[in-house]
Amino acid sequence: MRRIEQLLYLIKKGGMVILEQVVFGHCLVLVALGLSLWGCSDFVEVDPPKNTLISETVFDDAATVESALANLYFEMREQGMVSGSFGLTTGMGIYADELDYFASNADYSQLYQHNVIAGNNLVFTWWSQAYHLIYSANDIIKGVEASENLTDDERKRFKGQALFVRGYIHSLLVGVYGDVPYITTTDYVENNDVNRMAVGEVYERVIADLNDAVVLFEESGMDATGRILPDAHVAKALLARMYLYTKQWEKAVTHSTELIGAFVLEQDLDRVFLKDSPETIWQLKADADFPKNTREAGQLIIQGIPGQTYALTDDLLGAFETDDLRRDHWVNSISDGDGTITLHYAYKYKADLNETVSLEYSILFRLAEQYLIRAEARARLGNITGAQADLNRIRNRAELPDTAFGTLDGLMEAIIQERRIELFTEQGHRWFDLKRTGRADKVLGALKSNWKPTDVLLPIPEAELETNPNLLPQNNGY
Amino acid sequence: MKNLSFYVSRTVLLLLFYLVLAPWHSSNVLAGTKIMRFQTMVSGTVTDMDGNPLPGVNIVVEATGTGTISDMDGGFRIAASDGDVLVFSMVGFKSQSVPLSGRDDIRIFMVEDVTALGEVVLNAGYYKVSEKARTGNIATVTSDVLEKQPVANPLAGMQGHMSGVNIVQNTGVPGGGFSVEVRGRNFLNGASDPLFIVDGVPFGSQSLGAARVSNQIVGGDISPLNAINPSDIESIEVLKDADATAIYGSRGANGVVLITTKKGRAGKTRFDAHLSTTLGEVSNYLELLDTPQYLELRREGIANDGFQDLFEGPIFDFFWPDLKTWDQDRYTDWQEELIGGTAYRNNAQLSVSGGNDLTQFLVSGAYQKETTVFPGDFKYERASVHSNLNHRSENGRFMLNLSTSYSQENNQLPSGDFTAQAYTLPPNAPALFDEEGNLNWENNTWDNPLAILEESYVVGSKTLISNAVLSYAIRPNLELKSSFGYTNYRLDTYRTMPSSARNPGFGLTPQNYSSLMTNGSQRESWIIEPQLNWRKEWDGVSMDVLLGTTFQQETSEQSVLRGRGFPNNELIRNMAAAETLEVLSNSDSEYRYNAVFGRVNLNVLNRYLLNLTGRRDGSSRFGPGRQFGNFGAVGLAWIFSEESIFGADSPLSFGKLRASYGTTGSDNIGDYRFLDTYSVTGNNYNGVTVVEPTGIFNPQFGWEENKKLEAALELGFFKDRVMVNASWYRNRSSNQLVGIPLAATTGFSSLTGNFDAIVENTGVEIDLNTVNIRSGKFGWTTTFNLTIPKNKLVAFDGLETSTFANRYVLGEPLTIVNLYQSLGVDPETGLYQFEDYNGDGNISSSEDREWIEDLAPDFYGGLGNTFKWGDLTLDVFFQFKKQKAYNALRYNASPGWQTNSLVQLYDRWQEPGDITDIQRASSGLDLSNNQGALQQESNAAVSDASFVRLRNISLNYKVPGLDNGLDINVYLQGQNLWTLTDYLGPDPEQPSNIRLPPLRQLTLGLQFSF
Repeated sequence: MRRIEQLLYLIKKGGMVILEQVVFGHCLVLVALGLSLWGCSDFVEVDPPKNTLISETVFDDAATVESALANLYFEMREQGMVSGSFGLTTGMGIYADELDYFASNADYSQLYQHNVIAGNNLVFTWWSQAYHLIYSANDIIKGVEASENLTDDERKRFKGQALFVRGYIHSLLVGVYGDVPYITTTDYVENNDVNRMAVGEVYERVIADLNDAVVLFEESGMDATGRILPDAHVAKALLARMYLYTKQWEKAVTHSTELIGAFVLEQDLDRVFLKDSPETIWQLKADADFPKNTREAGQLIIQGIPGQTYALTDDLLGAFETDDLRRDHWVNSISDGDGTITLHYAYKYKADLNETVSLEYSILFRLAEQYLIRAEARARLGNITGAQADLNRIRNRAELPDTAFGTLDGLMEAIIQERRIELFTEQGHRWFDLKRTGRADKVLGALKSNWKPTDVLLPIPEAELETNPNLLPQNNGY
Repeated sequence: MKNLSFYVSRTVLLLLFYLVLAPWHSSNVLAGTKIMRFQTMVSGTVTDMDGNPLPGVNIVVEATGTGTISDMDGGFRIAASDGDVLVFSMVGFKSQSVPLSGRDDIRIFMVEDVTALGEVVLNAGYYKVSEKARTGNIATVTSDVLEKQPVANPLAGMQGHMSGVNIVQNTGVPGGGFSVEVRGRNFLNGASDPLFIVDGVPFGSQSLGAARVSNQIVGGDISPLNAINPSDIESIEVLKDADATAIYGSRGANGVVLITTKKGRAGKTRFDAHLSTTLGEVSNYLELLDTPQYLELRREGIANDGFQDLFEGPIFDFFWPDLKTWDQDRYTDWQEELIGGTAYRNNAQLSVSGGNDLTQFLVSGAYQKETTVFPGDFKYERASVHSNLNHRSENGRFMLNLSTSYSQENNQLPSGDFTAQAYTLPPNAPALFDEEGNLNWENNTWDNPLAILEESYVVGSKTLISNAVLSYAIRPNLELKSSFGYTNYRLDTYRTMPSSARNPGFGLTPQNYSSLMTNGSQRESWIIEPQLNWRKEWDGVSMDVLLGTTFQQETSEQSVLRGRGFPNNELIRNMAAAETLEVLSNSDSEYRYNAVFGRVNLNVLNRYLLNLTGRRDGSSRFGPGRQFGNFGAVGLAWIFSEESIFGADSPLSFGKLRASYGTTGSDNIGDYRFLDTYSVTGNNYNGVTVVEPTGIFNPQFGWEENKKLEAALELGFFKDRVMVNASWYRNRSSNQLVGIPLAATTGFSSLTGNFDAIVENTGVEIDLNTVNIRSGKFGWTTTFNLTIPKNKLVAFDGLETSTFANRYVLGEPLTIVNLYQSLGVDPETGLYQFEDYNGDGNISSSEDREWIEDLAPDFYGGLGNTFKWGDLTLDVFFQFKKQKAYNALRYNASPGWQTNSLVQLYDRWQEPGDITDIQRASSGLDLSNNQGALQQESNAAVSDASFVRLRNISLNYKVPGLDNGLDINVYLQGQNLWTLTDYLGPDPEQPSNIRLPPLRQLTLGLQFSF
């Protein structure tokens, strides 16, 4: 604009002067006129269209930051690994020993039959949607930090949520793919040729992000009404899980203890998965229009035979102890017309897609897992009675007797068995347990003819290796 | 940003202040220094050598620059002093300088100039240049040529007439679009539209049509240029090389099309009326199977596939009604029935023009109505008003030109094109109407094609283009000028889909089916371009300097709505009656453009010419710091025929060598693409509206660049009776904006960015104009143009990993298609065979599509002859093109299916040992017995589509011997009358089996003026 001022000055000097210039030195005026526009870049900057916001403006206002955060939860609920129609619940359910697969999608068939190739579309979709979410989280972290219009509490609350999401999604990636890049910026140049990070280091980063999130949540007094947004409790629940996965038993005990103090177990098994269940730590609120309940119920509940996609495996059904109430309350069955085929399905969520009243939300963290985390961590720390007590809380709710095991090895088997029954068809818990405790080879090798020890990791998507050779080498076996 | 409008308005205000006030100051200042001279009124008449009065001759007092124009009787009056020299000039005649030497009444005889090369003045956009002295490549079509063609869109009138300009009409449906390429495709992202400028105002030529509303009838493509009435056009110039286009900077890469509308002329008020009627029909019908042939193939196909048993079952009554329930002897020529009608176009136009030597005006109004060749009552109407006002102050210093065009179009078309059905409906399909005259559904066994007459599709558009040019001569050689332009284009389209248009057997109701889709779009732009022109002459040297700046803003909006579920079909036009209302798209965008441009032209001894042009411009389409770019060109010309070795009697009357080199750019990539944006997705979580990141911040995003090199030789022989221009060009486009694939770890799959790929267009253009006979009453002239283009992808790093991996091949043109290689029909199995390039035993993957065909023309051009015999003029114009294109096999290569097909498919394989090109008949149910789908994607579906077309023939008779200035012309014009081609398909110009081909048209017209 300074040049405009110069022009103004020139004009102020009087038309006569300018005309002298025109008459006797045209070029000077031409140059002045030209220069005045030489870099008038303000003119060529435009406001964005009305259906689009530029990032800067998103972070000028708390309401639009909440909209950007809402997108994270919406995407988690509808797509990718966390929930939705193609989540870990079914994908890793058929990959492990929870579900049989009856449809003919090639990508799912590969998972079910353990002949996954690096070009598998689901493997790519999970990967790319995870990193898209991570980009969104990082953009929120960056935007919130730079924003000048947010209050301190708002900034902490928003950044805490984004950090939590970043940590959570990376925790799933590292579980499925092994060494993965840990992305903390939005710079596409940097992110386009990143290297993979060792599993241990990824977990360290996840834990660091979660601890930061806890601090931010606690400082800002973030309180997620209805448990539909992540808050300090949710971050601690995931921290407890991460400490368990990384064998930091004391810390696992500390965090799970805090949650056990803050939430209570729902005693009625039919009410555990309702949206107001007191043991829910975090759930993704269902849509106001469709579906009003969970995608999980839509996938798992069999409406008719033929037409089924997933059914519980005989192996899982056989693993229930006699008189386990969960076998009656959380499993249902259906037969075909002439009664020759009967299939069982998970019936934790009972409201299917046609249900017009909102009864259930997709639960991602619940207290039962925390009891089992603490049982395992206490057992590892030698606190056998404490471990037994926690385990029995879960068993007794299903009206099973106290555990008979009193040794570390015995208890570990009992806890893994209890996790299998308590947490079946929930976000791939079974798969992660088999993998982290080294049982995958033995258990799945016996069930699946194509099983290879290298199957503990899914391949890095082929397309990704082509665009970024720094991700080489491919995981073993692919 | 928030202060932006303030700054802009202040900038504009300052400029206006400067422009408006400064000149008045200057006249005050200069008045004192001006030498006052004694002036008298000089009068006279101007005639040709035969003594016929010549109206419209320009008469200028050389010393002062003031001037006038001769009236209808050749008379003029002008103020001049004794010693002044008057310069008389007119296109087609040699200019004369006549010293007054004290006379106050003079008679001038103008001598006809054979080609009048030096007098032809071309519009180069910001300046004008004579044909003789131009350094750049500018092709032109004038009103003479346009008027001889019965066309509704100016682009149609240019077809074939300009070298280097390839125009294809996309559909024969009125109001449809055209695709235009100037010197080939430059960019991978496909934007090849040149910049259109109408009377100095950039005019967005991109359709605002929405595919969801308009796709089925006009391919979503509604040409905004339809709004311009071709008879309002004075000339169309196409700027092709760097010298001509660099002054348009970042918008000149794909060439520039300048449309100049007509202006009034001084003289007595003149009325001019035109009436014409045009008949149009499809120019070529396909030869299809008749009923016995069709049914034979059908039955054979079912037998070949082993479905005779199924055939007997009653369930197949419904699937195969053509064989089981329909009349086996019925025959309908569906082409005749569905596209065999005659389209009428009636055109009426009245214009009034006149004025005196200071002020001239022209007002014209036109109305046109055009029907279609389809059944049903459809019409395209256009009403347009054009006006032009030209004023010059008494002292000749101040000039004003105001031009405004407004047109309103109303296009009512069927919602879908009948062409595909005309080619594919079984020949024994039932009657369209039952005995009571209702649509016949033949017991719900077919989709009656006329059902879509129940649907309606209406396009309404309103276009305003206006421009004002104000100029003031500060000194005789220094002119300050500014143009102010404004355009507004409004498009309203709707399409109804009532349940009554569907087979009643489906049980659809207005409540569960009927829908209304609307598209309301608007594009508005303004432009301000202040300029300074300075001219200086020394002894034998003259210099022209131009400096200017541009401020332009364009906003566009589009809103596409769909309403579904209506209480009844009568209410379907009323969106408020819809049960559900969806917003399918609601977008707006803003584009701003700012530039400084200039030109320096040096002419030494009329022999050596140097032209420097340049532009620095900035566009809102790019990120901060990348908005501005510099473009420039140098043009050189040497008129060697002026050298003394060529004497006056040399057969070479004109010779010029010229060359140019420079850069242009393209910002034709859509708005806002550099921004990191969040978009409203329409979803919500926990009641909070979701915004999703939809773009990565990409500040590196910049111009696409285009470097143009040209060399040309222009020769005139025998006093310019034979003129030959030959140009060679090489345009290289780099910095291509394409989607670069990203690793998913970035959060996105691709990023639009500048990619270091180079596309090269080279070519040779030859233009020939000859005056063959010019004796007494008989004249014969010929024009010919030829373009031999070549397109090549020269470099593309990482092509294999890009999204273009399966489309482009290094070293090949962008216009290639990748196909399977057909090996004909296996004499044993009767199935099509293909080369298995990757050797995997399957013909399916993209790796097997290794056969490459180029669909760009090898060469194209036009040949025109004009014969004049007294008052009778005959024009014959041929267009020709050598090219390959998809043929009718692209659409069906499988005999025996339940669609009619080319009669060629009848010669199919029947038993082992048969040698034929067409595979065995198949039922269409068992895809394993049928390779037709692959054949459609193979080289067999591409064949020669070269053609020679009698594009235009025009016979004009000027009724002689009428007094009192009444002129009457009667004309007969034909368009697309005859085509010579081996093409297997409806029309080689627009090789499609699903769109109505361009029509053959015949026009009878009457023009009278007084």
